[in-house]
Amino acid sequence: MGRITLEKVRKSFGETQVIPPLDLTIEDGEFVVFVGPSGCGKSTLLRLIAGLEDVSGGEIRIDGRPATDLPPAKRGLAMVFQSYALYPHMTVRKNIAFPLKMAGMSEDEKKSRVERAADVLNLTDFLDRRPGQLSGGQRQRVAIGRAIVREPAAFLFDEPLSNLDAALRVGMRLEISELHERLKTTMIYVTHDQVEAMTMADKIVVLRKGNIEQVGSPLDLYRNPRNRFVAEFIGSPKMNIVEGAEAGRHDAHAIGIRPEHIDVGEGPWEGKVGVSEHLGSDTFFHVHETGLADVLTVRAPGEVNHRAGDKIRLSPQLDKLHRFDRDGLRIT
Amino acid sequence: MATQHSRAAARFMIAPSVVLLLAWMLIPLGMTIYFSFLRYNLLMPGANPFVGWENYSYFLTDPAFQTAIVNTLLLVGGVLVITIAGGIALAVLLDQPMWGTGIVRIMVISPFFVMPTVSALVWKNMFMNPVNGLFAYLADVIGVQPYDFLTQAPLASIIGIVSWQWLPFATLILLTAMQSLDSEQLEAAEMDGASAWSRFYHIKLPHLARAITVVVLIQTIFLLSIFAEILVTTNGGPGTASTNLTYLVYAESLLRFDVGTGSAGGVVAIILANIVAIFLMRMIGKNLDA
Ligand SMILES: Nc1ncnc2c1ncn2[C@@H]1O[C@H](COP(=O)(O)OP(=O)(O)O)[C@@H](O)[C@H]1O
Ligand SMILES: [Mg+2]
Repeated sequence: MGRITLEKVRKSFGETQVIPPLDLTIEDGEFVVFVGPSGCGKSTLLRLIAGLEDVSGGEIRIDGRPATDLPPAKRGLAMVFQSYALYPHMTVRKNIAFPLKMAGMSEDEKKSRVERAADVLNLTDFLDRRPGQLSGGQRQRVAIGRAIVREPAAFLFDEPLSNLDAALRVGMRLEISELHERLKTTMIYVTHDQVEAMTMADKIVVLRKGNIEQVGSPLDLYRNPRNRFVAEFIGSPKMNIVEGAEAGRHDAHAIGIRPEHIDVGEGPWEGKVGVSEHLGSDTFFHVHETGLADVLTVRAPGEVNHRAGDKIRLSPQLDKLHRFDRDGLRIT
Repeated sequence: MATQHSRAAARFMIAPSVVLLLAWMLIPLGMTIYFSFLRYNLLMPGANPFVGWENYSYFLTDPAFQTAIVNTLLLVGGVLVITIAGGIALAVLLDQPMWGTGIVRIMVISPFFVMPTVSALVWKNMFMNPVNGLFAYLADVIGVQPYDFLTQAPLASIIGIVSWQWLPFATLILLTAMQSLDSEQLEAAEMDGASAWSRFYHIKLPHLARAITVVVLIQTIFLLSIFAEILVTTNGGPGTASTNLTYLVYAESLLRFDVGTGSAGGVVAIILANIVAIFLMRMIGKNLDA
C-alpha cells in the first residue's frame, strides 16, 4: 500500500516561502512525476514527503495515517538520491543490505533479499565491488537496489538520471518504468526534464514556484494544458505562441500551436526558413519573418529539404490550436 | 612534462635545490654519526679517539634507555589515543549547526597557538602546582588532599599537557574531513533506518578513516621528539620516570657533557623513529591509497 495525501502542506526557509499551501493526492501504485523548472521546489516537496525536511504547516498522510511528525525511517518510504548517496566504503552487497541490517534482519533473510534485488537489477556480478569501481548506470542501479530491498510503501526518486549520459538515461528510464510495472509500488519521481515526465508518468504534477499548475496524465497535459506555462513546458520542441492581431482573429490574447500541428506547403502563413534540424524521422524548421512571432518552429514528417532563406507557406491545424486569455489561462 | 627534453630540463633546474636540501640534511646526520664513534666528552678536552661501538653499547645498556623507550611509546600512544578520541568527539559536536560555533571553534583551536614551553609552564604552575594550582584549590574546595601531579604521576601529567596541545590539530583535521561528508549519504542512512549512533559508526567513522590516518602519522612524527614539555615540567624525573628518548639524548650530551654517547643515542633514536614510521605506514598507510 502507498497512498499519500498532502493537505495544505507549506514550507518556508526563514522568510522565503518555497511551497505555498498545496493539496495533492497520490494513489496507491501510481507513477507520479513532479516536473518543473529548476528551483521550483520539486526537491523540497519530495523531501517533505520523505521527512527529511519538516513542514511549516499542513498534514501529510501515508495510507490514511498521519505521518507529518514521523521520522523518515518510520514512514516506510525509500529514496533514490541524485548523487546516488552510496556508502563508498561498503561493497555493493553491504550497501544494498544496509537498510536490512538497520532493521535487524537475520543473515539468511538479508542474503536472500539482497540476491533477489541484485538479480532484478543485473548486479549479481558486482556484489563484491565498491561503488567507486562501478559505472554511473551501475551505481544508479545499486541505489535502486538499496531502495527496493526494504519493500517500501513508495519510492521517491530525485532526478535520478541527471548524472547519466543521454544513451544511458534512455535505458535507465525504461528500466525504472519496467520496475514499476513489476512491483506495482507507488513511485514519486522528480525531474526537470519534461521528456522523462511524459514517457514515464501515470500522472504528472507540473510545478511552478511551488505552486501546482496542473495535475493530469501526460496526454491530458499535452492536449488540454490549463495555461500557457503548462502548454509551453510540456511538449518538445516548445509550443509556438503567437500574440497580437493573429490571436485577435481567434478571439484570444494569445494562441498556441505545437510544431507538429503546423503543415508545410500551402496555407495562410508565410515565412523564411532559418535553421533546419534533420532527425531523419522528422525535420524541424525554424521559420522567421512570419509577422507572427520572432520564430516559429515547425515539424515536417520525414526528410524534407528546404534551404535557409527559402520561403515556405504554413497552415496551422485549427482544431489543435490553443487559445489563451490575458492571464495566460486557456480558453475552452 | 611530456617530452624527454622538457623532463631533462626540469631535472637540471631542480638540481640546485635538491643538492642544497641534501647537504642540509646529510651534513648534520654525517656529523652525528661521526661523533657517535668518538670518545668525545666536553669535560675531558683533548684528543677524541675513535672508540668503535663503545658509545652505542654504553647507551643501549644504560637502564635509563629501556625506561626511555617505554616512556616514549607510552607518551606517543597515550597522546594519540586521547587526541583521536577527543578530536572525533569534538569534530562531531562542532559539526552540528548551533549558535556560536565560530567562537567555539576558535577557542578549541587556540591551544595550538600557545608555545609548548609556555603551555607547559602554565600547566605546571597554574594548574598542577600542589600548593597554588587550580586543581589543588578545587581539591581544597571539595575537601580532599591535593594531588601532586608532576611528582606522583609525571608521565601521565605530561601526556595530559601534550594531549591538550595536540587536540586542536586532531580536531581541526577531523572536523574538515567531517564537513566534506556528503550530506545526502547521511540522509540516505537516515531513510534506511540508521539511528544517530549507527550513522556515526557506519557512515561518519569510515569516512574519517583517512583523516585519522593522517593525524596519526603526523602526530607520531612530532610526538616522538617531545622535549620542551619534559624539560620545563619534570626534567625527566623523578629519577627517569618521565624521560623519553629525546630527553635522554639531551641528558647524555648536555647534562653529562658526553657528546659521543649523546650522538650514539641520537642515531639510535633516528633508527627507532624509522622503524616506527615503517611499521605505521604498513599498518595504516593503505588507508591513504585513493
Ligand atoms: N535548505 C534550504 N535553505 C534555504 N533555501 C532553500 C533550501 N533548500 C531549498 N531552498 C530554496 O528553495 C527553492 C526550491 O529548491 P528545490 O526544491 O531544490 O528546487 P528544485 O528541486 O525544483 O530545483 C530554491 O529557490 C532554493 O533556493
Ligand atoms: Mg532538485
